[in-house]
Amino acid sequence: MKVATDLESRDRRLGILLLLPAVVLFALLILYPFGNSLWLSFNRINTMTLASSFTGLSNYREVLSSPEFWQSLVTTMVWTVGSLVLQVGLGVAVALMLHQNLWFRSLARGLILFPYLLPMVVAVLVWKWLFNDLYGVINHLLMSAGIIAMPVDWLGSMPNAMIAIILIGGWKYFPFVVLAVLARLQTIPEQLYEAARVDGASAFARFFDITLPQLRNVLAIIVLLRAIWDFKEFDLIYMMTGGGPVSSTETLPLLVYKQAFPLMQMGKAAATAMLMMAVMSLFMVVYFRARRRFEDA
Amino acid sequence: MRAVVRHGGDLVRQVLTWALVLALSFPLFWLISTALRPDTELFVRPPHLLPRTYTVDNFSKLLFETPFLTYFRNSAIVAISTTAFVIVIAVFAAYSLSRFRGRFSAVVERMILITYLLPSVVIFLPIYLMLSRMGLANSLPGLVVAYTTFALPFAIWLLRSFVDSVPVEIELAAMVDGASRLGAFVDVVLPQLLPGIISTALFTAILSWNEYLYALILTNSDAVKTLPPGVMTLLTSSYHIEWGLLMAASVMMSAPVILAFAFLQKHLTRGFGAGAVKG
Repeated sequence: MKVATDLESRDRRLGILLLLPAVVLFALLILYPFGNSLWLSFNRINTMTLASSFTGLSNYREVLSSPEFWQSLVTTMVWTVGSLVLQVGLGVAVALMLHQNLWFRSLARGLILFPYLLPMVVAVLVWKWLFNDLYGVINHLLMSAGIIAMPVDWLGSMPNAMIAIILIGGWKYFPFVVLAVLARLQTIPEQLYEAARVDGASAFARFFDITLPQLRNVLAIIVLLRAIWDFKEFDLIYMMTGGGPVSSTETLPLLVYKQAFPLMQMGKAAATAMLMMAVMSLFMVVYFRARRRFEDA
Repeated sequence: MRAVVRHGGDLVRQVLTWALVLALSFPLFWLISTALRPDTELFVRPPHLLPRTYTVDNFSKLLFETPFLTYFRNSAIVAISTTAFVIVIAVFAAYSLSRFRGRFSAVVERMILITYLLPSVVIFLPIYLMLSRMGLANSLPGLVVAYTTFALPFAIWLLRSFVDSVPVEIELAAMVDGASRLGAFVDVVLPQLLPGIISTALFTAILSWNEYLYALILTNSDAVKTLPPGVMTLLTSSYHIEWGLLMAASVMMSAPVILAFAFLQKHLTRGFGAGAVKG
């Protein structure tokens, strides 16, 4: 008995020891910066000397009373919902199509994954080229189809710029949905479908009564996870439009970046970041709840 | 009759599905097709689907007349160093989280989950200030430190799922045979874990290779720029945009990533679930 407890506590000590380097790095690189960000948000920072003076909630007051912040929050919501709908719609449709037998199915699967695998810079460059107003393929196709008469300025005017980034976001991230949904589809027992077929259920009935309920949990997780990731998306939007035209595609991460670096208003940037984090934590709470519930189920 | 109808329906479905797949892959095709055509063919109306004359001029110009190779080297150095550093720490942490469950590890686990949803813009200012103070801004080691913030939680999380799938029994058996816990870990668990370690390392390297935001704020000279901000500089620094050159750069910077993913096929779902492609 004594020996066993000894072993156990030695084991526990080993467990903590192995975890220690990671925990130290966490504290230095994530906890400390997070706390520092919080502290910066209550201060005014002199950009030359980096000296700070405590100003309480004034950064928050300033941010919350600026139309810029609320505009940016709305823009973030529009972007998140728009691209999320596209990702999930396209993702589920493609997953269902790939789940059936298809000529050269593995080739199709590989091709479908590509947008997700490409570095974001590469995706941005190729779409900038496709959306190019004078020589882009998209304007050419739309013009030869008679949909538009003149080349459209895709990235420099609204609502075109928002439509463009939503389309690209949908295209870039839908394969994530495909992968997750396909994995789940493969676990639905074939007998369910056979039984329904014997009972005379149509293909539509089989989809709504069997497939969709089976996918519900995985879809809830995907939507929450993607919503969090889309909400904080920086790379795609910054590289594609830089937040423009003017600031009409300036989502919260871009606003934080603008305040922090070109404008060097560090306190304000930190306050905006904290407010953004507060909005996101709502999503996160729901996500963690859902995760726990579905893991138990 | 009925069989014919069903067969016809199947044909339509096959064709429609493939039409959608090809439409969604068009940007990829266009990327390669543009990279391989001479400048004169970029502005032809209607655009040629395939180049009339194939050329590697874009690639040779990219390699010999732009700092692309420097960017490529910097990206490789940062990706490899970040991965090596993070994996060593993550292997021990993942093993500990998987095998010794306690209050401490529960807290750590929760923290990892939260950090992998944490936006970089929430911590990037302090990281920037910290690295500047240490004299590491605008340097490759500075990038490695910054990348640890997302690479470490990711690697621990993914590796943990690999450790979980190594049966505890074999290590208990080794311990019954007189091996210490650490000995059993090194001799029994590590070899079993090797494929998982390699996969995690590749995923981590891809994450660093593709990273943009920290590279944007932490590097400002060509000598230390990595590919993502470097290639964007190629876009913005010239008077008229050289699309052929940019598409060639895109092909070159994607190639290592695509190769790595080809090795990872089996683990894609697992890796993406853990956030292998930062979104």
